[in-house]
Amino acid sequence: MIPVFLGISIISFFVMYAAGDPLNIIRIGRPTITQETIDALRRYYGLDKPIPIQYLTWLTNLLQLNFGKSLYGGRPVNFLIGSWLWETAKLQLISILLAFAISIPIGINSAKKQYSKQDVAVTSISLFGVSMPTFWLGLILIIIFSFQLGWLPSAGAHGAPYLWFNDPILDELAHLIMPVTVLVYVMLAQNIRLIRANMLEILRSDYILAARASGLSERKVIYKYALRNAIGPVITYLGISLGMIIAGAPMTEYVFNWPGLGRRYVDAAMRLDFPVVMGITMIITVMTLIANLIIDIAYVYIDPRIRLR
Amino acid sequence: MASNKKEEKPKEKPKRRSAGQWAVAWRRFQRNKAGVFGLIIVMAVFFVGIFGSFFAPYPARPDTGAYAPFYEKPSQVRKPPSWLDPEQPNKWKYLFGTTPIGTDVFSDVIHGTKYTIYVGLVVTIITMALSIVVGAIAGFYGRWVDNLLMRTAEVFLVFPSLLFILVFVRIFTLTVGEPFWTIPIVNVQIPAGLTIVILILALFNWASNARMIRGEFLRVRELEFIEAERALGASNIRIIFRHILPNLLSSVIVVSTLTIAYAILLEAAVSFLGFGDVNTITWGQILQENFSEMRTVWWAEIFPGIAILLTVFGFNLLGDGLSDALNPRLRE
Repeated sequence: MIPVFLGISIISFFVMYAAGDPLNIIRIGRPTITQETIDALRRYYGLDKPIPIQYLTWLTNLLQLNFGKSLYGGRPVNFLIGSWLWETAKLQLISILLAFAISIPIGINSAKKQYSKQDVAVTSISLFGVSMPTFWLGLILIIIFSFQLGWLPSAGAHGAPYLWFNDPILDELAHLIMPVTVLVYVMLAQNIRLIRANMLEILRSDYILAARASGLSERKVIYKYALRNAIGPVITYLGISLGMIIAGAPMTEYVFNWPGLGRRYVDAAMRLDFPVVMGITMIITVMTLIANLIIDIAYVYIDPRIRLR
Repeated sequence: MASNKKEEKPKEKPKRRSAGQWAVAWRRFQRNKAGVFGLIIVMAVFFVGIFGSFFAPYPARPDTGAYAPFYEKPSQVRKPPSWLDPEQPNKWKYLFGTTPIGTDVFSDVIHGTKYTIYVGLVVTIITMALSIVVGAIAGFYGRWVDNLLMRTAEVFLVFPSLLFILVFVRIFTLTVGEPFWTIPIVNVQIPAGLTIVILILALFNWASNARMIRGEFLRVRELEFIEAERALGASNIRIIFRHILPNLLSSVIVVSTLTIAYAILLEAAVSFLGFGDVNTITWGQILQENFSEMRTVWWAEIFPGIAILLTVFGFNLLGDGLSDALNPRLRE
């Protein structure tokens, strides 16, 4: 955990540093800026100090949850990030849970009846799902359900006048439906393919034959004996891909103008607002690492052969 | 495509009686309907990419200043697809409609195909070169080299790479001067911004492929014929290039096909988020340009997306088909 965190913090710091002098980039954006202003800005942001000292200052500030100030407007980054983080976390958590709840029974069913019509349909649809650009699915949903039918809001997380019977909770739900659908669909395709492949392998193993031979009900064989082993790799995959899932948030959030980390990240990256960019990167890294820790702990419950040392 | 050529090679040598490895694979591939369908889509995409400019109804936009109104005439702006438009007598005039600046979406999609192929192929070539080098070194030399390289790969995997890709692309496309670079000897013009996007995508995507190749290397390294080769006194370099890598060829072909699909999706995403090269109209770029006007010109969002979807689907189907044909072990 901690070495990986430090590793990523060092890499992201030097990546940003190697990307170029932020002041040079400001100079490209505003060619009329004078040398004195550049020097003053350099002193103000501490860019005149040696690199290791800059890194240590940044890291100690980071550990005190002080991400610096935005280059645009000068507001402290952690003040800005707080509310965005909640919106992103809400969206992602609901989608991940929903994706698992849906993909497990579908994956199991299509493994049980391999090459049946249902299985062929599921596998080809999920291959289609892997091929679909995330954001494009969002665009299609907006065009159909917001513009043509007018049922759902096309952007944002909250309505100014509440939608749907003027109720704040129903309003939130109305805004969540389409982004969650997109995120679930993307994860669903991957999850189903993985669960199906694992189940196929496990259903052929000897211990399943033994369980069946001893007269256990099919339900018990699948959900108690086979699923436990099939779910392991899926959860490992979730751990590896979590960074990608969370980092993929910009696309969905951009399409639905969701006021979360991803949407803000796109803005900040566009303006090269380095404190905000690095703050969001580190927060996403920490979220990924914490999720991986939770997954490692969950492993012990799923697979009793693994012991925590 | 590349694999297709290789599979046809054995046909040129009729002397050999038993079918070669590639001929067997080709025959197995032909039986897989989904794979053949994928191959047809991929071939169609290549055809449109190479010859598209000859049959596109309207010429490509000028090289620079893509945002300058090019076709703009009031009669040409925001026209829905002609086959949906009751006021349009010629049903073939604008197949996919026109944009708010008056360009024809159908022509834009056709002219964008070559960039899609460019992105897919070049990203894949660089990614595979990187991952073969890393995977080969890690898998062959093992020990601390392996440890170091694979830990690095893990960091790259856990990394929220899309975030870094966006920042990098932004910085480098801001600092690039001219919109096109000319390759000196062959005198070919390549779009500068798009090439930067390609290089950065490749730089952040080698990790998972490198892990796969390392795994294969570990498997092949332990086989007996490698031991025999070593007993005959072959050098490490000879063993790697003459004996191990040819054994990995089938896996490399399959993974490359899937990487092409992934690269196309990723480039579309980067362009859609507004970080692409504004001077090259890729499919993602069309989506980005018309995103803010989506309410009125929905056709400009739907059709380029279908093009992306079909192309990526084709490469994925082809990859799956090749995987079944080349690695029959997985099937049984």
